Order: sequence, then structure tokens, then C-alpha cells
Amino acid sequence: MKALILVGGFGTRLRPLTLSVPKPLVDFANKPMILHQIEALKAIGVTEVVLAINYQPEVMLNFLKDFEAKLEIKITCSQETEPLGTAGPLALARDKLIDESGEPFFVLNSDVISEYPLKEMIEFHKSHGGEASIMVTKVDEPSKYGVVVTEESTGKVERFVEKPKLFVGNKINAGIYLLNPSVLDRIQLRPTSIEKEIFPKIAAEGKLYAMVLPGFWMDIGQPKDYITGLRLYLDSLRKKASPKLATGTHIIGNVLVDESAKIGEGCLIGPDVAIGPGCVVESGVRLSCCTVMRGVRIKKHACISSSIIGWHSTVGQWARVENMTILGEDVHVCDEIYSNGGVVLPHKEIKSSILKPEIVM
Amino acid sequence: MGGSEERVVVAVIMVGGPTKGTRFRPLSLNTPKPLFPLAGQPMVNHPISACKRIPNLAQIYLIGFYEEREFALFVSSISNELRVPVRYLKEDKPHGSAGGLYNFRDQIMEESPSHIFLLNCDVCCSFPLADLLEAHMSYRGMGTILVIKVSPESANQFGELVADPVTNELLHYTEKPETFVSDRINCGVYIFTPDIFTAIQGVSSQRKDRATLRRVSSFEALQPANRSLPSDFVRLDQDILSPLAGKKQFYVYETTDYWEQIKTPGMSLKCSGLYLAQFRRTSPDLLASGDGTKNAAISGNVYIHPSAKVHPTAKIGPNASISANARIGAGVRLVNCIILDDVEVKENAVVIHAIVGWKSSIGRWSRVQASGDHNTKLGVTILGESVTVEDEVVVINSIVLPNKTMNVSVQEEIIL
Repeated sequence: MKALILVGGFGTRLRPLTLSVPKPLVDFANKPMILHQIEALKAIGVTEVVLAINYQPEVMLNFLKDFEAKLEIKITCSQETEPLGTAGPLALARDKLIDESGEPFFVLNSDVISEYPLKEMIEFHKSHGGEASIMVTKVDEPSKYGVVVTEESTGKVERFVEKPKLFVGNKINAGIYLLNPSVLDRIQLRPTSIEKEIFPKIAAEGKLYAMVLPGFWMDIGQPKDYITGLRLYLDSLRKKASPKLATGTHIIGNVLVDESAKIGEGCLIGPDVAIGPGCVVESGVRLSCCTVMRGVRIKKHACISSSIIGWHSTVGQWARVENMTILGEDVHVCDEIYSNGGVVLPHKEIKSSILKPEIVM
Repeated sequence: MGGSEERVVVAVIMVGGPTKGTRFRPLSLNTPKPLFPLAGQPMVNHPISACKRIPNLAQIYLIGFYEEREFALFVSSISNELRVPVRYLKEDKPHGSAGGLYNFRDQIMEESPSHIFLLNCDVCCSFPLADLLEAHMSYRGMGTILVIKVSPESANQFGELVADPVTNELLHYTEKPETFVSDRINCGVYIFTPDIFTAIQGVSSQRKDRATLRRVSSFEALQPANRSLPSDFVRLDQDILSPLAGKKQFYVYETTDYWEQIKTPGMSLKCSGLYLAQFRRTSPDLLASGDGTKNAAISGNVYIHPSAKVHPTAKIGPNASISANARIGAGVRLVNCIILDDVEVKENAVVIHAIVGWKSSIGRWSRVQASGDHNTKLGVTILGESVTVEDEVVVINSIVLPNKTMNVSVQEEIIL
């Protein structure tokens, strides 16, 4: 079985992290974002994943070589030379997605984190016999997105409403699709929107069905949602009683600690913290609602909350870092510094406090 | 071995590296700072062209931290174009401003030069190198430093020097002092005789010996000034010039021409203007001209690359620089700006006090402008590579990082 992951463009909303690596390779819960999706696809028997990209293919391809070998799954890239929207890339990758088996293929959006109930989706798709299935998820503020209106009992999609002004429903497109190869016949190789042009046509023919996504869903394409997404993800690990979650008297709530990370004495870690490979958390440190990426050193007595600390950065002794501070790669916060929402580009040293949210270039 | 044989001269230009000079962002996010164009030529071209005018110049070395492949193409093309031999030497780790020179002493001394010029790439000035050499030969010291007089208020951003008014000997040197020492500052352009290497080695060995002898108290060890530096990390200013001031080793030569440091994008715009003014004096045929009939109306000093297309109804200048393959549409007004390669400026747009990054697109009737204060962070509007400003949008006193689309107007903002 095959799958396509829409990787898209420059990831500017996740800067400064995406100034160092392309967005799919930004770590989430101690693993590159795209690996969460590739592993979920591998688990249900997908043998080939095509990445639809238009930016930094060399970096992606290098990284993928490692994972192709480790995961024993074939990974190829389909590179857009001009932006093709959300449907165009499928046409571009047509030859890679169709084979003689006539099996449907998955399409995932690389910014999305969820439980990936792909096996259930395959069964749903078989049972309704339509041409395409999409996952929808319930949200509090549907008007921010495209709402999918469905028939309650069958899940048949009646229509799509983009950013509705009045309430029409609370389910939105979760960015996970299972499509029959015939869908590719509907897509031309030009900039095309799958939500605005392709799906509405299939829905009008009564051949599009929506399944409500069980479990959590988050678009982690920007820092605020990244942090919320981590909370939801760790919560789902807790529900599954995953052994990956850390335990100990110094742990509160859901915490992920890579086995190569070191944590000192007298720390209090959690809730909703991920500590990456090779990190050193010295003694007396308080961490909550934050992500600490590979190779970071947090010095003694520091306190970090609601922030993202980029690869190989350091946070000084008694420093306080909070309120959506995002440190890019190799950023060094000096001792006793306070950062309130500082967004710091890579390779900087912070020698004076940042009292209100500010971008440091 | 005759004493009358002519000895050659070499020049070393320090070009920095990708993690240094973060103040040049966002322009340095996609392009190494030394290659950023000022008055239509890469920044490092200007000191290289100045070196070319030195008699008996044998070789120019560029020393920096950029990966070789970034510089290889550039170095070979500049070598061919200016017909001067240029080599790039990559430092493996930081050695300090003097340590870097010492690290490559074998290559630098290959042709037994009698004198070595040391220049910083991010300095904008007239590079009076022949005069500096002449002055140095009359003083007969180990080195001569180019200095300039600045306002007393701004002097403390630089290295301040005190020199003997008669002999021009360097008597005192201090880097960025808190109190006023002198209004003469170090321009970052030097000439040395090969004994400079002996002096640098002296500092290295002294530091190595001291490290084994001295035991520092734990409080002292915390003070940044005492943080022990590796023995091969030698800074020109603090470790060589300061201690050797007043010992008849170093001299100064004062220039009265323009001088600026190119640390920020705002300053690069100012320096581009300074070099355009220099072209007006020395090579006016490099500058554009036009009166709005057959060609666009040109006001003041303007550089337009031969491959750029400018509509005759546009008005360009003063102080505008337009790079290769840029397209300037009808009725466009450009004032004090740098338009980089492949930019499209559509009809009737206005760009004032700004730098527009490579491949960007400026929409019809849009306005990209700033206060024009080259010294403040948002005083010059900077658009990074591939930024799109949609029709009729206004971007004022802002910085926009690469690959963004501006579809709403903004003021005083940094757009990540």
C-alpha cells in the first residue's frame, strides 16, 4: 500500500526552528515530526511513502536515507517546481501512487499530529464503498477552518463550508485522506485545492465519506499549537499506559525523557515536558509545558515553562524562561536572565533580559 | 642574495563566518555577508580592488569560517575578473583576530613578502593602502594602523588610540572604553612587517606558561575578563596593540576620507551610498544616467546592472543600486535603496530607504519605506529573499524574513 505526505513549503510559522531544518524534520516528542506519520503508515502495512516537497530536498533526502534503512519502508520525494496547492502534488506523484493492485492510498498532511487510526479508516473505507474517505475532527472554533457537513448515520459528506459565518457544524477536515486511484483522474497537474475543488465534486456525486477521528488532533505548524499538541500527545500516551512516560519522585504529570538525557538532583519536571537525546538538566531545575531539544544543557536552578528550547542551546543558572519563549538552534541564555516570550534566532547569546515578547535576530 | 631585489607585498582580508555577525540578518540568512553587494559589487570586492592598486602585490588571502564551496566559485571569478590572485583559507576554529593571521603564517609567508596588509571585510572606506605603505616605511615599526577621527560621543564603540602628534607612534590603545580616551579610532586596516608573527607567538607562549603557573581564585574565575583563553587565541587589539603601545613598535596613519563599519543591513545601505559617491569621483562611467526620455530619469548616484530592465517612466535615485535581472516597472520611484537580483518592482510602486531581497516581488502601487535612520534596528526596511508585497500594501520600518507574503500593511514589525 502507498501513501503521500504533503510536506509543502518553508514552514515560516515555525521559525526560528525552521531556519535550521526543514519543518518535517523539526522534532516533536523527541522524534522528527514526519517520523510520527511514517511510523504510523508502516504499522498498517504501507510499503512506500512519497513526500511531496518544494523546499530543501537535499536535506530531506539525506535524512530519509537513514530512516529508509531503519524502518524498512521505501521513501521517495516528489518535488514541485512551482507550488501546486493541496491537490496538484497528487497528480505530480501519480505514477508512484498507482500500481496494478488498484488499492487506495493514504494522503497525510505533515503538520498534523494525531492518533492515526489508519486501520479503522481502511475498514471504514471498505464498508461504505465510496471513492474517498476523509478524517474529520471536532473543534471548538470551527469558523477558523473549513467545516465538513455530513449525514449523521453514514458519514456521507454533504458539503464543505469554508470559514462559515454561522454555525453549520463543528467537524473540520483533519488532513488525513484515503483515496481510490480514480481520484487521481480528477486532478490536473496545476495549482489545485483539494478542499475547494476536488472534494466538493466527489461529495456532490455522493462518493465522499467522513469518519470522526477518535482521539486527539492538532496542527502543530506554529509554536503555540506545538506546545498544546505536545500536551495532547503525552496525554494519549498516558491513556495507553505507555512505558515511554517517565516516572519518579521528580516527575509531575506526563513527561518524556530520552534515555540518553541526564537529569540532576532536586529537579521538578512536568507536566507536559519532552526532553530530547543528549540533554543535560542540572540540579534544581524546574521544567513545565516545554520541549527541550537534542543536546540542550539546562544549568542549575533554572526555571522554564511554556517554551521551546532549540537544539544545542543552553539556559544559564537561575535563568527564567517562559511565556512562549522559542530559542532557535545554538542559543545561549546567560545566567540569571529572564525571557518573557523572547523569540531568538539561531547562534545568539542572550546577555540581557527580555521583559516582553520580542524577536531577537 | 642581493639586498636590492624587490620584495612583494601580500594582503589578508578577514571575512568572518556564518555564525558570526548575526546583526546582518536577515540578509545573511541566505547569502554570506562578504558577498552582499554594495554599489553593485560584492562587499569584499571593494577591499580587493583597493589591494590591486598596491605596487608589487603578489597575493590576496581571504580568511574566514565559511565552507570552502561557498567561496570557491566567487574566489575564482573575482580572480579572473580583477586579474589578481585571491585564495580563500578556512579557519578550523576561532583563533582571534591575530591568531587567525598566525595560524596561516606559512601560506602568508610563502613568497617572503616584505609587508602584510590586514583588512577587515566589513569596513567601508577609501582604503588608502599605498599611502599607508609609504607612511609605514617611513616609520619603520612593526606595524602601522589606519585611524580616523570621529565624534567623541561615538568613539567608545571602537578601539580608541592615542598617538604622538610628531612621530605618530602609537602611545596607548584601548578597546571600547567606558570613559573618553581619544577621538581617534582604529579603522580595522593595518600593515605589518613579518615580525608581527613573532609578537603573536610571544603572546601564545606567555599565555601557555601563565596557565600552568597561575592559580585563579574561584571568584576571579567567574569574571569574564579572566576567563582563560586557549593559548592559540590571540586578539590583535587587546593582546598585541594594547600591551605594545608606547614601545616604538606601532604607528598610526590618519585618513580624512569616509569610514564606516558594515555591521547591519541599515549600515550596508549607507555604505552602498558612500561607494556610489566614490564611483562618482573615480569611475563615473560605472554610474547610470538618464533624463526620463529614452531611459529612466536618474537623480544623484545610481548603479544599474546591465541586465536589469528599468521602464523609462520610472524615476531612480539618489543612492539607488539595482542588481542583475531586476525589473523596474512603469512609474516606479526608488530612493536610497538596494534592489537585489531578480527582483520585480511593479507599476507605480514606491521604495524609499529599503533593501529588497533577491527574487522578491513588489506589487503595484505598494509602498516599501522607512525613516532612513541607518543606525536603528528598524530604520531601514529590509525584505529578505523571495518576499512578496502584494498590490497596494504598505510596509514601513519593518523587517521581513525570506519567503513571506505581505498581504496586509504593517509598521514597525519584524515578520518571521
